[in-house]
Amino acid sequence: MDLLELQDALASKSFQRIGEICDELMLQVASSGISFQQEWPYSIHLLGHLYVNDLNSARFLWKSIPSGIKESQAEVVAAWKIGQCLWIRDYAGVYAAIRGFNWSPEALGLVTAFEESYTKRNFQLLVSAYSTISVTDTAQFLGMSEDDATNYVLQHGWTLDSTSRMLSVRKPEIITEQKLDSSKLQRLTEYVFHLEH
Amino acid sequence: MDSVEVLVAHIQDLSGNPVELAHLHAILKQSEDTLRVQASRLVPFIEQLDPSSHSLGYLFLLEAYSSGPILRENISSFLACVVGFINFCSAEQIRLAPDKFISVCKRFKDQVIQHQVPIQGVAPLRTAVRKLQSSYEQLTALHSDFLFLCLLSKCYKAGTSVLDDEVLEIDQPRDFFLFCYYGGMINIGLKRFPKALECLHNVVTAPMSTINAIAIEAYKKYILVALIHLGQIPSLPKYTASTVLRSLKSYAQPYVGLASSYATGKFSELEAFIQTNVEKFQTDNNLGLVKQVLSSLYKRNIQRLTQTYLTLSLQDIANAVHLNTSKEAEMRVLQMIQDGDIFATINQKDGMVSFHEDPEQYKTCEMIDQIDSSIQRLMALSKKLTAIDEHISCDPAYITKIGRERPRLDFDDFDSVPHKFL
Repeated sequence: MDLLELQDALASKSFQRIGEICDELMLQVASSGISFQQEWPYSIHLLGHLYVNDLNSARFLWKSIPSGIKESQAEVVAAWKIGQCLWIRDYAGVYAAIRGFNWSPEALGLVTAFEESYTKRNFQLLVSAYSTISVTDTAQFLGMSEDDATNYVLQHGWTLDSTSRMLSVRKPEIITEQKLDSSKLQRLTEYVFHLEH
Repeated sequence: MDSVEVLVAHIQDLSGNPVELAHLHAILKQSEDTLRVQASRLVPFIEQLDPSSHSLGYLFLLEAYSSGPILRENISSFLACVVGFINFCSAEQIRLAPDKFISVCKRFKDQVIQHQVPIQGVAPLRTAVRKLQSSYEQLTALHSDFLFLCLLSKCYKAGTSVLDDEVLEIDQPRDFFLFCYYGGMINIGLKRFPKALECLHNVVTAPMSTINAIAIEAYKKYILVALIHLGQIPSLPKYTASTVLRSLKSYAQPYVGLASSYATGKFSELEAFIQTNVEKFQTDNNLGLVKQVLSSLYKRNIQRLTQTYLTLSLQDIANAVHLNTSKEAEMRVLQMIQDGDIFATINQKDGMVSFHEDPEQYKTCEMIDQIDSSIQRLMALSKKLTAIDEHISCDPAYITKIGRERPRLDFDDFDSVPHKFL
């Protein structure tokens, strides 16, 4: 079984591509008729899908894993535990699942990168969905202690009301590109031409 | 026995250029019966051929071999042989005998299913589809088989490679029905509901003279996905076959009932309706989707609130949509904000939610690009339609038929403006 492409991607930290690479490699290996399930890096494959937030692919991959492997490989189950928490949107549970397992060296880099991006994603969610939120909840969403979480958000310009332990969210100005260039005008001409003919 | 040897020699000699290939094709067609009789003894001859340079001959031998029963101990070598052939064969050569190629691939598909290794067929059939089709717009007889293997092996994502193509050329109606039905199922699995709806809609509204089982099953799923995604069932368009319009609903009774129960917006009522019909949904293998319909009712009811209120307390939301606690309501609202279903901000301090308008103002570059690409797709499509229309109006068969239906020219026929516009 040739997993060179996957190893390269892991080594160069191209985590974005892990899920896709694994999918393709698996189809290729399977088409050759070799029984690959025993040696397949299922936990990396699952984590690769989770990293790009492709929960559906992770879910179907989990369903296709033979039950013998689910019983014998604890890391596969641990990776799916994260997926389950993501599925039911148990934000704190995701962090617990990440930290509650002793990951193998191959998986560790990917898991750490996932945790970072998950925290960032959750921070963006809080920014878009809340105007005020309690310190306790913020800490849960960001997977940090209350003090760390407070420091983290204060750096992003939030403010703390220490009597009520409530944080006020600061929403950054969204700058969007609105300039038009001449190629757009060209295309507009084409449309009018099309409509008239 | 001699004749197969002679044939192999012919194949090896005549695979060089199109003229030779045409000649070889004729010879192969004449020897089909001989090959079939010898089916079980063809393996050593196949091994003498090269799949890439002798594709056409290889294909005829392989097809003849696979037409007979294959012994159990030969299965894995047969599968490997077909996979190798699909990977290396020349697309130009196999397109000379597409029926043979399709039948080899279909037997290969049957074998991987029978031996419970559907995943083994996914990549080869994907390659086979690409080699068989002359453009991405063409639907081949292998599309539906490929999607079926994707479903069986749970490689849903692999199916999107053909589902994202715009299919415009269809040979056989059955291929189209199955392609869209399986495509709908894959899109449902991946939660791409707008795409799923489009696929299933295509099945239900396709021209058909008698109603078929695929259309009925597709309609059931269509109702469920429409409820999840749109909250109601859009009425079927006028071009739907009349047989379908007349009888479809009677075949999907519990689903129509589900939709009317959904329309009341009452959670308990919908839940009770599902309970009484649970067996029917289960036998149709739709219970999972039905449960998603139930849970989408919360979402729908919260969305309805946004149309009435500018701000609302979390407790009021919980009461209005029958959730137990205000925390649960907060999580539902958060989830909807995350999915882009509503635009709102939660104020935990006061326990309030304020609802906003959609902030999209349709003036960013991104949005313009998106609109641009839609316009371009539509332009390409309308050009295609004009071309087909012209093609049909020049078709002798069509002109004769029209001529027969209107044997005598009336004065009206010279009218340049159709009556309905007058």
